[in-house]
Amino acid sequence: MTSPQISVHNLSLTLGDKPILSALNFTIARGQFIGLIGPNGAGKSSLLRCLYRYWQPSQGSVRYAGKLVSDYSRRDYARQVAVVLQEIPSQFNLALSEVVAMGVTPHKTLFRAVNADDKQRILEAIERVGLSHKAQQAFDSLSGGEKQRAMIARAMVQQPDLLIMDEPTSHLDVKYQIQIMELAKAMGVTVIASFHDLNLAAALSDELLVLAQGKLMAQGTPLDIITPDLLSDIFGVCAEVETVPGLHSSAPGVPHIRYHYGYQL
Amino acid sequence: MRVLLIPGLIFACMFSLLSALSVGAVSLSWGEVWQALSSYDSSILSQKIVVELRLPRTLLAFFAGAGLAIAGLILQTVTRNPLADPYLFGISSGASFGVVLLVALFGVQSALALSGAAFAGSAVAMSLLLLIAFHKGTALVENMLLSGVALTFLFSAFTSLLLYWSDPQAISAIIFWSLGSFSRADWQWLWLPALVVSLGCVLMLLMRRSLNALLVGDESAVTLGVNVHRLRLGMLILASILTAVIVAACGGVGFVGLMIPHIVRFFISQVRTVGMLATALSGGLMMLWVDVLARTLIDNQELPIGVITSAIGSVFFLSLLIAKKRAASI
Repeated sequence: MTSPQISVHNLSLTLGDKPILSALNFTIARGQFIGLIGPNGAGKSSLLRCLYRYWQPSQGSVRYAGKLVSDYSRRDYARQVAVVLQEIPSQFNLALSEVVAMGVTPHKTLFRAVNADDKQRILEAIERVGLSHKAQQAFDSLSGGEKQRAMIARAMVQQPDLLIMDEPTSHLDVKYQIQIMELAKAMGVTVIASFHDLNLAAALSDELLVLAQGKLMAQGTPLDIITPDLLSDIFGVCAEVETVPGLHSSAPGVPHIRYHYGYQL
Repeated sequence: MRVLLIPGLIFACMFSLLSALSVGAVSLSWGEVWQALSSYDSSILSQKIVVELRLPRTLLAFFAGAGLAIAGLILQTVTRNPLADPYLFGISSGASFGVVLLVALFGVQSALALSGAAFAGSAVAMSLLLLIAFHKGTALVENMLLSGVALTFLFSAFTSLLLYWSDPQAISAIIFWSLGSFSRADWQWLWLPALVVSLGCVLMLLMRRSLNALLVGDESAVTLGVNVHRLRLGMLILASILTAVIVAACGGVGFVGLMIPHIVRFFISQVRTVGMLATALSGGLMMLWVDVLARTLIDNQELPIGVITSAIGSVFFLSLLIAKKRAASI
């Protein structure tokens, strides 16, 4: 049996005196699409930051392919794990192609220049996200959806085995929410993405992780996890769940939530 | 067009260098300048003027301009603040304080001692900035900028107090120093700014990918494998050393570090190697001509460099902004 791609053991995170995450344990198998859900302040972004090594856990460990993430060099880890963040600040009139080209950074030592293969990879990535016609435009002049697509192109150039996305679809129109997620899925690598839209998470994910108040409340397939009880206990909403056909006819279907309005839980 | 940019700038720098050597209180032909450079004879006065006086100060002007421009580019990048400038971090006011302390309290006015005092003052300011901004192991961009501004005011306060107590002669010496001049250039010390600026340029080019990654945020840079904390600390030290060496050699020359990276950005992206090189060369080129103006605008009198860079720079910068706006609205 191969070791899991990510294995989190007893992970706790405290910022100042404030406990953010407490004693999380879970593993993620290679090739899975994992949806991370939970109400605001549940610790989703904090957990992702521990996974992509922006923060060190206060206790416990995160292993990538069996090795502690802190044992990887920064560059090595960035060659394995690409990240698409919620918001991307940018200044100084960077062109879209220049932002996408930053994906080669972890693959280059100080003295290595970008070669023809790299340039080809950058062009292909921009084409795959459908932005070839805007490659030379200023990144700041793009719409929110285009910026996120550009960041996915940057992740493609990074050639990772794991893609982490922190609420990549917030503030986006429905069309772009689906488009962004389909692009991520089409990369064919393991994906861990946090979501606010539970129906989108349920439709796309092989497995869901549910966080609340820094604790892991549940892990399993969307059909097992998304239940009226969970929705009321964790999210404080009254809803019913029906099963609708999934993306593939062979799949057992995916849960679809219908929210009820006007109920006080 | 982009292919020709660097060769074009190098040609412009060479042309300007030769022009700068031929003009001044004594006008010389290009032939005389060339002869002085190719077969120097110290017994001929015109050749002595070229090689002993004009060449070192012209080269110093070039290196000072290039150094301040790349220090500005580095600081604007690591702070992601388009208004960052080598003088925003208290480094120049630290240098001024060092000079004022020496002149006002000890009456020393030798050029070498003043340069030494300026460097020591910059080093103190730089160490204080690093201590304050990095005292908890991480330096937030805001902390760095605020610490720099606070230090600038602190040193300025001490400087003003010392000036207030000084005699008029000392005050005029200090003011002349603080407005900048290349007249102190000599062959003996030219190697220092030349070496530091060249090394700074090479280091910046080697680190270009990590520097560029910072432009889309610290967190994003970390996910690309960049050690943001170490990079920012290293680049801040590099920019500080560049500024300190230049301020020590030629006094306070404002506005170049802020302006040149912006002017170059109007024409070419700073994330390209060509853009970075163009910034260094443009800084040097501009300063060559500023020095020529300083020497020739008024007969038999040298104008302070700082006055010219600020005056020309701001007008040029404003006209570029207006032209850019007009082009955008058409």
